[in-house]
Amino acid sequence: MKSSCFTRASLSSILQPVFSPRLKPSRPIICSAVPPKPQTALYLRPPAFRSTLSELRKWYAWAKNQASSVGSTFLDLDNGPDSTLLHRELKWLVEDALERPDMLSPLNSGDNYDDATPVSMRACLDDLYKLWKQRIEERRPFQYVVGCEHWRDLILSVEEGVLIPRPETEIIVDLVDDAVKENEELRNGLWADLGTGSGALAIGVARILGLGCGRVVATDLSPVAVAVASYNVQRYNLQDRVSVKLGSWFDPLKDVEGELSGLVSNPPYIPSEDINGLQAEVSKHEPRLALDGGANGMDDLINLCNGAASMLKPGGFFALETNGETQSKFLVDYMDTKMKGSFYGTNIASDFAGIQRFVTGYRA
Amino acid sequence: MLFPNGQFSSCIKPLLNLKPPQISTQTGNPYDQSHYNYSEKMSSLILKRSCNNKSLHNSFLRINLFTRTLFSLSEPHFHDSPIPVNNQQVPASSYAFLENKNNGFCSYFHGNWKVPIPYDCNFVRFLSSQAAVEASTSDGLTVEGIIANKWVIHDENESDWRSHAAAIAQSIHLIKKRLRWKKLIPRLKILSEELDKPDLWDDPARAGKISREHGSIMGKMKEVNAFEQELIEHIDMIKLAREENDSELESESLKALLALRRNIKEKELEALLAGEQDSCSCFIEVQAGAGGTESMDWASMVMQMYKRWAENRGFGVTVVDEMPGDIAGIKRATIKVDGEFAFGYAKAEVGAHRLVRISPLDSNKRRHTSFASVAVIPILGEGFSHVQINESDLRIERFRAGGAGGQHVNTTESAVRITHIPTGVTASCQNERSQNQNKMSAMAVLQSRLDQLEIERQARINAEHTQSLTDINFGSQIRSYVLHPYRMVKDHRTDYEVSDPDSVLQGDLDGFILSFLSASLDKNEEDDGI
Ligand SMILES: C[S@@+](CC[C@H](N)C(=O)[O-])C[C@H]1O[C@@H](n2cnc3c(N)ncnc32)[C@H](O)[C@@H]1O
Repeated sequence: MKSSCFTRASLSSILQPVFSPRLKPSRPIICSAVPPKPQTALYLRPPAFRSTLSELRKWYAWAKNQASSVGSTFLDLDNGPDSTLLHRELKWLVEDALERPDMLSPLNSGDNYDDATPVSMRACLDDLYKLWKQRIEERRPFQYVVGCEHWRDLILSVEEGVLIPRPETEIIVDLVDDAVKENEELRNGLWADLGTGSGALAIGVARILGLGCGRVVATDLSPVAVAVASYNVQRYNLQDRVSVKLGSWFDPLKDVEGELSGLVSNPPYIPSEDINGLQAEVSKHEPRLALDGGANGMDDLINLCNGAASMLKPGGFFALETNGETQSKFLVDYMDTKMKGSFYGTNIASDFAGIQRFVTGYRA
Repeated sequence: MLFPNGQFSSCIKPLLNLKPPQISTQTGNPYDQSHYNYSEKMSSLILKRSCNNKSLHNSFLRINLFTRTLFSLSEPHFHDSPIPVNNQQVPASSYAFLENKNNGFCSYFHGNWKVPIPYDCNFVRFLSSQAAVEASTSDGLTVEGIIANKWVIHDENESDWRSHAAAIAQSIHLIKKRLRWKKLIPRLKILSEELDKPDLWDDPARAGKISREHGSIMGKMKEVNAFEQELIEHIDMIKLAREENDSELESESLKALLALRRNIKEKELEALLAGEQDSCSCFIEVQAGAGGTESMDWASMVMQMYKRWAENRGFGVTVVDEMPGDIAGIKRATIKVDGEFAFGYAKAEVGAHRLVRISPLDSNKRRHTSFASVAVIPILGEGFSHVQINESDLRIERFRAGGAGGQHVNTTESAVRITHIPTGVTASCQNERSQNQNKMSAMAVLQSRLDQLEIERQARINAEHTQSLTDINFGSQIRSYVLHPYRMVKDHRTDYEVSDPDSVLQGDLDGFILSFLSASLDKNEEDDGI
């Protein structure tokens, strides 16, 4: 490629990790002066707690029973989890909480170990009871309970205040992979992940770009998100290639206008009035700032669309996640007519459930 | 004549000038410290003997033995840069091999015989000579002859050379049968013809496959030949020792014979797992038969049995896919079993498994018969060629699709199902915690399934060479587990049975597996035999 990377001057100003609130809030936000310290996921805590196998088995039997008693009530109520899913989550909770999860495996139910066998755990038994109660009674999302979400080949820390990355969104990374394979020049450019949340997309994209001079800037308006994303970036040792910035959409990117090689975003896209009807895990626990896309859910998508036209360099790639067919079609139509000439190669890609979920294209 | 058309002079003559080789060093050293002396003695005795020229037969044995080993060593594995020698082509690598391989035999050679290997000494010749002459003792006793003598086989502890010899001969016979000896020879011929073709490496994948198979067959044959040779030599030694009243030598020879007997007993087992994919890891799949909850419960018992079996064997076990039953048990499940020879053993389990019991799930305490089918798929490692999968031939779907998805939903359900559209083969994984990982695992299962289909397709084309047991009808009933009115597990293929179903369900399956493997390989097939 000719101009190997984007200009150094602009780069350094972009890549400095900033927590300085350079806010231009478009809607009310809570702002704390000190960046919050992210919580440590359960599976990363030291196995500092002891109990006996029989006590643990008691908890396990109780927890299984709780899961079973849910049956399909949540499913019928608001499309929440059923027993099968809860049982699987329980298995994963055990995996994360115990130093040796196999102690509870059915293979060891017999006489391999006696009741007094000590077990090492990453949370005390009381907390395990509490955590599972929160899961079942309060419908606290499983990922907040264990403090992490497995996403692609990553394990990302998450906590209240940060959207739990969705499986659908994993595909955006594949779309980026395809794009940079088609045009290797993009691989060495500057990319942006707007509304990064846990940092999932920024980290996923940075790993696709590889060890060349490709860089990613991630932005978010939520200080918790910025803190958690920065933490995750460090856990994957990407701090030299991914910088996380606090601010609204393109605001922290003013210096690199027209220089982006790529842009990805999964902005809030749920119509405001739909939010209260969502399953309890989402409506009661996940941040509204991460979900609410305005009256028809398109506010932020349109905003990003307009911004993409000025922020991307010619040939630059974008991939946006939407609410589905209606929004995707609307967006493509908007680009092809209202913003005629700004983009080319606009395309809609489906998720694995067959929903037309993503809009991709290039800056003309 | 052994070596027709003048080959004798070009090939054998120089060898006659050499001291006899110490063949036994090639197959390891079962003789502890006395080995060195022993083989020294052996050499000199044999030499003495051939000089005496007591028997023409004996020197033939030496010749045959010698050339055989030489030929197998010089057997061309790779056809890189052939160089002309004596107007013939000899692969350069065969020299390299002779020079590098640092056993006594070769280094001896190195010093004494720097003549290029004559082309005549190729292994096709080796094979025909092999067919023509069997190793035999000075008084004409062959391995087959030993078997025909029907000497009583005593316990190992009895120092009776005939008993040892008979046991060893039987083992050799069994190993040959298990290796499908008669089929190996023509197969080797075909492969070597392929290897000789100048355009072989135009298709490197195929060439690699051919040369690998060739090498592996060659290795097996060499090993068995060496056993035969060793047996014959020890017998010769014992007879000689007796003639010469050398009791020390006699007891050493007897010891050596015993060591061989023990060593070869282990090889019998190895020969059961000589199939091309036997050493691979595998997937084991269990599917509930008709009959609803009863069968689903049975399917989960069967799965549990395999998990335990695999863990007891030291294999790694991971659940890839599991479809729970509506009330109890599983509709189907797939586990990955990691470890050497996992496939070789597990393939013996393919088929339908039947359970008869009074069901704990039935409040009326009636007797139920349930079925579960088991499939086993090898996971071909790096050395194998794989079916190319086209991304565009795949349909990837999410489980429990429905609903708006995306930000609307928080779910830990991220299972996917992948369909290979041209073949209709599907694979799914729901065990991983991320969708992408589920997709990768499902892809691995899909790849193995397609590879297996391809193996079966090729086995059908190439009906001569089928060691694959996997094409056994998935649905045929192989074993019954009866818990009521009596207690017994019985294999319908071998009639092997056990009266303690619990131990079997706890994973104690080796008896069934080994008896099936040996039954299917050892059954007396006229032309499969030796
Ligand atoms: C649906 S979440 C996506 C999070 C993450 N990218 C992912 O895919 O998991 C939307 C994110 O946009 C952020 N966001 C909302 N309004 C924003 C704004 N005005 N500027 C920047 N980020 C904003 C939210 O804090 C939230 O993290």
